[in-house]
Amino acid sequence: MNSSSAGPSSKPRAGSSQPSDSSFKRKRGVFQKDLQHMMYGFGDDANTSWTALLSAGFLSKQSSHPLPETVALLEDIVVEYVTDLVHKAQETASKRGKLLTEDFLFLMRKDLPKLNRCTELLSMNEELKQARKAFDVDEEKLATME
Amino acid sequence: MKQSKDPFEVAFEESSPPDSPVEEIVGGQIEDEDDANVNVHPTSTPSAAPSSGTTVPPTAKSKDEDEEEEEENMDVELGKLPTSGDPHKMAKMQAILSQFTEEQMSRYESFRRSGFQKANMKKLLVSITGSQKISAPMTIVASGIAKMFVGELVETARMVMTERKETGPIRPCHIREAYRRLKLEGKVPRRSVSRLFR
Repeated sequence: MNSSSAGPSSKPRAGSSQPSDSSFKRKRGVFQKDLQHMMYGFGDDANTSWTALLSAGFLSKQSSHPLPETVALLEDIVVEYVTDLVHKAQETASKRGKLLTEDFLFLMRKDLPKLNRCTELLSMNEELKQARKAFDVDEEKLATME
Repeated sequence: MKQSKDPFEVAFEESSPPDSPVEEIVGGQIEDEDDANVNVHPTSTPSAAPSSGTTVPPTAKSKDEDEEEEEENMDVELGKLPTSGDPHKMAKMQAILSQFTEEQMSRYESFRRSGFQKANMKKLLVSITGSQKISAPMTIVASGIAKMFVGELVETARMVMTERKETGPIRPCHIREAYRRLKLEGKVPRRSVSRLFR
C-alpha cells in the first residue's frame, strides 16, 4: 500500500541531494521545467491567478505556471512510474540477461496508444539514422570529388 | 517557448503549409515528439508559397544530435504531422490547425515540443538499472512512455476537476485522484512484491 502523498523516495522534500539508504543521490526538480511545459500542453492552466495579475498585458505568449506542488507531485509519480516500469522490464529481461527495448514494448502490449507511439518513435529514430548516414556519405562524396 | 526566434510563429504566418513532410530528412535531430521534420518540407515542395523557403532557419540541418535536446526542429507543427504520410489525415490536421486560436496554438506547440530531457532520463534509467549500458532508443522509448503517462494523468485530473466543478490550476488532490483512477484501470504498473521499508 503506498502513501502516494509522500512520494516514492525517502528523501526529505527540503533537501536537494541528501543520500539515504539508496546508493544514488536524487535531486528534486530534475524534470521540473519539462513538466511545466508538458502540463501546459496537456491542459493545465497557463497562469495561476497571481501571475495573471502580474502579467496582464505584458505577455504575448502564454507561459506555464502550474502550481509548484503539483509539479513536484507529478515528478514523484513519474519517477516512481518509470522505476516500476523498468523493474518489470528487468523481470522479463532477466531470462535473456540484457535489458532490451523490446522489453518495454512487451510491457506496453496492453496499452495500444503507448505501444503505437513507441513504435512510431523507434521507426523515426531509424529513419533519422539512415538519413544522417546518407548525409555523411554525400558529404564524403562531395569532398572526394573536389 | 525555448527559442528566441519563435519559428513557429513565422511558420504560422506563412498560412500555406507545405504538404510533403517526410522523406528528405537531412541530419535532423531526434526527439521525443515526432517533430523530426527538420524544416525539410519548405525546401521540398515547389508548389508551396515561395516565401516558405526563406523563412526556414538552416540551423536545424547542420546540428544532428541526441544530446541536443534543446536544439529543436524549428519548423514543427505545419510540417510532419503525427500521421506521417497519410494525405487525408494530414489534410484534416492542416484544416484543424489553421483554425486554432492563438491560445490553442500555443498549447499545441507546448504539447508537441515538450518532453523529458534525454540526459536526465538516461541518468534516471542508469540509476534504476544499475548498469551503464542504456541505449539511446531505450531512453527515447522511456521518455515517450512517460510523457504519455503524464498526459493521461493531467487529462484525468482535468476530468476530475470538471466532475467536482472546480476551476483554476490543477491541484495535487486532483492528480492523486487521477492516479488512483489510473491504477484501477491497470495503466500503472504495480509491483508484484509490495515495497517494504519505505
